[in-house]
Amino acid sequence: MSVQPAVSVPERFPRLPDAPAPRGRGRLPFSGWHLVLAPVAAIMLVPLVWMLIVSLESQQQATSFPPQLIPSSVHLGNYSAAWNAVPFGRFFINSLLYSAATVAGNLLFCSLAAYAFARIRFFGREVLFVVLLATLMVPFQVILIPTFLIVKNLGLVDTLGGLIMPNLCSAFGIFMLRQFFRTLPIELEEAARIDGTSRLGILFKIVLPLSLPALATLGIIQFMWSWNDFLWPLIIIQSQTHDTLQLGLSQLQGAHFTQWNLLMAGTLMSQIPMLAAFLLAQRWFIRSVAFTGIK
Amino acid sequence: MPSVMLDGVTKRFAADAVAVDDLSLEIADGEFMILVGSSGCGKTTALRMIAGLEKPTSGTIQIGDRIVNEVSARDRDIAMVFQNYALYPHMTVARNLGYPLRQRRVARSDVNRRVSEVAEMLGLAELLKRRPGQLSGGQRQRVAMGRALVREPEVFLLDEPLSNLDAKLRVEMRAALKRLHGRLGVTTVYVTHDQVEAMTLGDRIAVLSDGKLQQLGAPQDVYDHPANVFVAGFIGSPPMNLLRGRVRDGSATAGDLVVPAPGVSDRDVFVGVRPESLRPATNGMPSLGFEVAVVEPLGDEVIVHGFVGAELLGVSQERDDAALVAADGHRAEAVACLPPRDRPAEGSVIRLGVEPEEVHLFDADTGLAIRG
Amino acid sequence: MSAHSATPLAVHRRPSLLKRVIASDHLAGWAFVTPAVILIAVFAIIPIGWSALLSLQSTNLIAPAHYVGLANYRALTKDPAFRSAIGHTVVYTLLFVPISVGGALALAVALNRKIRGIRFYRLAVFIPLVTSTVATGIIFLWLLDPTFGLVNYVLNLVGIPQQQFLQDPNQALYCIVAMTVWSWLGFDVIIYLAALQGIPEDLLEASEMDGASRWSTFRSIVLPLLGPATLFIVVWSTINALQLFDEIYVTTRGGPLGSTTVIVYYLYQQAFQFFNGGYGAAIAMVLFLAILIVTLLQLWVGRRRVYYTS
Repeated sequence: MSVQPAVSVPERFPRLPDAPAPRGRGRLPFSGWHLVLAPVAAIMLVPLVWMLIVSLESQQQATSFPPQLIPSSVHLGNYSAAWNAVPFGRFFINSLLYSAATVAGNLLFCSLAAYAFARIRFFGREVLFVVLLATLMVPFQVILIPTFLIVKNLGLVDTLGGLIMPNLCSAFGIFMLRQFFRTLPIELEEAARIDGTSRLGILFKIVLPLSLPALATLGIIQFMWSWNDFLWPLIIIQSQTHDTLQLGLSQLQGAHFTQWNLLMAGTLMSQIPMLAAFLLAQRWFIRSVAFTGIK
Repeated sequence: MPSVMLDGVTKRFAADAVAVDDLSLEIADGEFMILVGSSGCGKTTALRMIAGLEKPTSGTIQIGDRIVNEVSARDRDIAMVFQNYALYPHMTVARNLGYPLRQRRVARSDVNRRVSEVAEMLGLAELLKRRPGQLSGGQRQRVAMGRALVREPEVFLLDEPLSNLDAKLRVEMRAALKRLHGRLGVTTVYVTHDQVEAMTLGDRIAVLSDGKLQQLGAPQDVYDHPANVFVAGFIGSPPMNLLRGRVRDGSATAGDLVVPAPGVSDRDVFVGVRPESLRPATNGMPSLGFEVAVVEPLGDEVIVHGFVGAELLGVSQERDDAALVAADGHRAEAVACLPPRDRPAEGSVIRLGVEPEEVHLFDADTGLAIRG
Repeated sequence: MSAHSATPLAVHRRPSLLKRVIASDHLAGWAFVTPAVILIAVFAIIPIGWSALLSLQSTNLIAPAHYVGLANYRALTKDPAFRSAIGHTVVYTLLFVPISVGGALALAVALNRKIRGIRFYRLAVFIPLVTSTVATGIIFLWLLDPTFGLVNYVLNLVGIPQQQFLQDPNQALYCIVAMTVWSWLGFDVIIYLAALQGIPEDLLEASEMDGASRWSTFRSIVLPLLGPATLFIVVWSTINALQLFDEIYVTTRGGPLGSTTVIVYYLYQQAFQFFNGGYGAAIAMVLFLAILIVTLLQLWVGRRRVYYTS
């Protein structure tokens, strides 16, 4: 559709938006575009940079007006104070468990289902697929209340299990992986069947290893989504020890909303994992995002 | 006054990547000029510089009476047909054809009139409401040409327009192009790697290699009198046989072929003989022994592959200059084109002769033609 | 060994029905999809139906529910707070979507070039995408602080008096717009950039040769070919705009004076603060319907006006 994917097996995804632009008639030593892009970049980065600056200031510096742009002294104590003000370590672990579990769940269950939809002819396949796909049309807020009630009836309110379960498998992953599996050459699987490999074996030994880009994309999308998820944890978690990082941050805000230096330190700490992951694996992140535009 | 003139044009992409090297060329008004050479020889870059899509690193380009180095492509009154046609996929054929006119603010009625004219001329009248995606390769090619013609430009540029068509269509389109040029008489610069197109379409051809102009002239002249070893091996199919030999005492020897070379000083040479110049030897004709390996009957002629008793210099079509292909001792491969009645048996040894006027001599050091 | 055992030609017996079923694709297929089906059925399909059901009930989410027919819906039509919520959501959406789409397009065009430092600029635009909604809310609360905020400081430098921003009922919603645009622009830019780079270069050169100015090429060639991307971004942004919640919760809690209460926030209040489960469900159904209609409308318009190149 809007992007032309490359053709070979592993490269089924859109070109990264960092391929160079038109082969030109000579680059200028100083392009006028810098005058446009630099302010934009500044606007995008200033809030984050400001967060960093404030997190290093003392309470007094932070609440001075005019605001100090360069802290006169660095107060790393803000970080330890924030860490101790609320159980940050606990929050990290909860978020990590939540994200890891949903990623694992999605990768596993969506692979199984997607493979069946892509390669196995079974009774009711088409209808079932459409029904599952239809669930994507419904926004989460619509099913928020009943989902809460279901988890409550399972006795899993305020538990990590209750947090994770509704997000263990999404039709989005099934759709994505099915599309991908269908583009793999079927001869490989047929050869394996002739050799007597079971369907499950084919999936795990042949199809999945060839699908790493798709799995990585799904994993990243799901991880990001779970890590930054707020509404569902807000509803289902009620005690502080089970808070995810985002919830915990909100707690910190509630408890210390006048101590902005502390709050900024806490906020920065909470964002570091995602920021670091993003900087290290930019290409994958960007690819994953670009991919959602392809469907 | 020449319609297009390139004067000392050089295009350098990086310190060691020179695409076009000091190219000077004059194209007369109404002339059909072909730039021909193998991939990477600089012909497309030269075309793009005439178009204004690339800027020369040095040298001037003149269209009509003005130097256009600093003039942008849109102001040059040139039209171009791209190799992949570059048709606007979201527009119908009619809108594609009319696009250049609409961009110049031509009145709607004039646009429609002109579009119908061009569509009529190229046989596109029924296709006007279709989109490029619904057209065949040949149809798309004609739309691309139509879009270029609709403006009646001063110069018409074509970048390998036939290379994406199948063989039969290519032959048809070649003739169509020639007719079109005859009818419209627009100055045309045409880029191709196919020497058959070059020979059949051009008023004059410019053979390029490695960014440098090897020879410029009418097709028949270039064929009859190649200026250097590269042109000799590039123009003509099957390619000219180039045998390593030497000139001594006014006589050129290559293996067992001896040809008089009056007035030529002693030196190492390449002796060039076109396959079609070889014929069954008669008395008095310089001749060589030819061991027949493979015979390919083509109906109107027979292509004979075999070995001759000389070191053969093969010109590789992939490389830009004459390169030595290893000769097998003193025997090397050669090709002859004979009339069907002279068809030899495979494995036989025959004697083939050549008229001295049809033998080309090239200096072994410089590659330049000595005579011929 | 009986006399039957050794026969010269083995009699081919068809495997039992049970064996055939087990070996069949049908069973295999269902076995593979079962975990996913169970999870989606329990946590997506059933809730959808239940939501519709809930909207016809009255419940405080603890005691059993009882039926009230269409009473919730009737109450909604008379509820001024709901009407405000709709109004706020609509205003927000009508600002958020065009600004996002237009801004992302302009940015993508600007970022689609090969100048030094382009990677840095692109990164700068993408990074806000990675920050969580909570973090964004907190950062902007501080940036827009009426007394100590950086933005007020800068305005001060150019002579504009201090603004209340998120504490001003007339400004809060617009601040939310700015905040969410900042946050999500990178997403749209990525999509547009990928689409821009998918446009074959010789189309742009052909347009130039045809005499089109840069702007004309953009309008006649680039923009139409970006149609599919634009449609996607418009639909996606609209759906997300109508579902706005996180940022409101973190910054204004629907205030000041209810000026930032959007539909989903109102839903949250009704269902989880006032324990009107049925009422909340009714709000959810109305939202669902709205999203469905708007999306279908956009897709319908898109179908007629957008050209797909493959």
